[in-house]
Amino acid sequence: MKIRLHIPDLSKLRVAILHRPHATVQSLRRQCKPIGLDVFDCWPELPPKALAADFVFFDADMGYDAQFPWDAGAAPMPMIALIGSEAPGRIEWSLSQGADAQILKPVGDGGVFSALLIARRAFEVRQSMRDEIGVLRGRLSQRQTVVQAVTLLAAAGSSEDEAYAKLRHLAMARRETIEDAALRVVLDAQNEGGLHDKFGKY
Amino acid sequence: MLAINAINADTSFNFTFETVDRDPEGNIDLYAPLCAEILEDRSVAHVIGCVTSWSRKDVIPILERLGATLWYSLPYEGFEASDHVVYTHACPNQHLLPLLSWALPRFGGRGYLTGSNYIWGWELNRVAREVIQEAGGDVLGERYVALNDINIGHMIEEIRATRPNFVLNSLVGASSYTFLKAFAELAKADSFFTPDNCPVLSCNLTESELVEIGDAAEGLISAGPYFHGARGWPCQGLRNFESSLEAASWAAVMELSQLLQANPGLEGAPISELLSENTHRSMIDVETHHTALPVLIAQVKDGAFQVLEQWQDIPADPYLSHSERRIDIRLPKLRIVK
Repeated sequence: MKIRLHIPDLSKLRVAILHRPHATVQSLRRQCKPIGLDVFDCWPELPPKALAADFVFFDADMGYDAQFPWDAGAAPMPMIALIGSEAPGRIEWSLSQGADAQILKPVGDGGVFSALLIARRAFEVRQSMRDEIGVLRGRLSQRQTVVQAVTLLAAAGSSEDEAYAKLRHLAMARRETIEDAALRVVLDAQNEGGLHDKFGKY
Repeated sequence: MLAINAINADTSFNFTFETVDRDPEGNIDLYAPLCAEILEDRSVAHVIGCVTSWSRKDVIPILERLGATLWYSLPYEGFEASDHVVYTHACPNQHLLPLLSWALPRFGGRGYLTGSNYIWGWELNRVAREVIQEAGGDVLGERYVALNDINIGHMIEEIRATRPNFVLNSLVGASSYTFLKAFAELAKADSFFTPDNCPVLSCNLTESELVEIGDAAEGLISAGPYFHGARGWPCQGLRNFESSLEAASWAAVMELSQLLQANPGLEGAPISELLSENTHRSMIDVETHHTALPVLIAQVKDGAFQVLEQWQDIPADPYLSHSERRIDIRLPKLRIVK
């Protein structure tokens, strides 16, 4: 039995360093090796293979939007800013790129391991919140459909409360969200025509 | 100092070491300033010493600033690979993981974890907890006390109540001695807690502390790269050391001497430069600055450690990121119900 530890295992993960050739890159590379990371550096642009990287370190001092093959703030992996000048403009730009963690330059003997773990956690939190917001937005936009379905069901002769209870019942019976059940009611009604006949079924 | 004297007396080396020593007397805040004091006289390039991880972390920025190297010869908790430190003692894949891989199948997977309140105990127990749970075992308790706190009664009470298969003791100093004495008393009162049935395991106890612990050390099981009398590392049994701490310090001085002998002109160079220029065989891994070490599991019998199991040349994996450097744990599928 191979023991798989939950201790952060970063081995074999790919790291892109977006920085001009410099001692900073050497220090980062040196720190990445004992952790077991697979590192490549590039400048001034991220090559296509960067899309497959698990982490990106980027230069906050000389960086600009066009370096990245994705929209600002939409990086598909955790991003770590390499900050030399702590000028507010540069920090703002790093944040707009979606920096999940930072390391101050000059990069010395440490900092990479903790930056990787902090960035990964921040990225995961951001991703899961983004996913959840997507789901909630979808449900919000379906409110209109729910109102429509209740109205359709009520048109069959029941009160609004009874119609809503009926809709909930339909959703529970099919193990779907109330929004999905509402959408089905509305689509059915549109497809079949003759609303009153239709609601005899429910 | 023994090793340095040996080098200085050895005419095959075309140099001698001159030592500058400072004693921080265990005061954590004195390590960094005293280290700076030693190094500011730029003729000093290598420092041998430090005990706790705190002291090591404190001197690293000074070493970095002045381009010097620390030779650290104590077991530690891993998750570090400084460019300015050479680690000549074991990290967790060379002490804790083999110890658990050996102990779990023998004694069972129900463990109780103790530690002193600082990074050694915290990180060791964190890794131990993961390993035990991953192997299907249980952690019955995890307790810490402040450094040098000897109020350990609550730990003993919890151990008596939970009846684990083993206790992992990552306490240090006086707390550890008091704990071991109290645990030995418990074993006298209740035979469940004898070393055959519920041993105390350690990754930091060596011969250097046995006198202090006395009879209470009987049955204690410890993991390390060397125990008194072992052949093999660091000098193939040609010399006996009191403990692995002395052996690792000896290994550090010998390695430094050989590197300097093989690379004349680099006496004042940082270790990274020394290693990159060096074409001779070195025990130091260029990437991690750690050393491949044997792993010995030993038990105190009649006041001395007796080796029960050993593995050769386990490469260090300070970030526990290379599973091939791990000794696998096998829990028996059928367990004896006691």
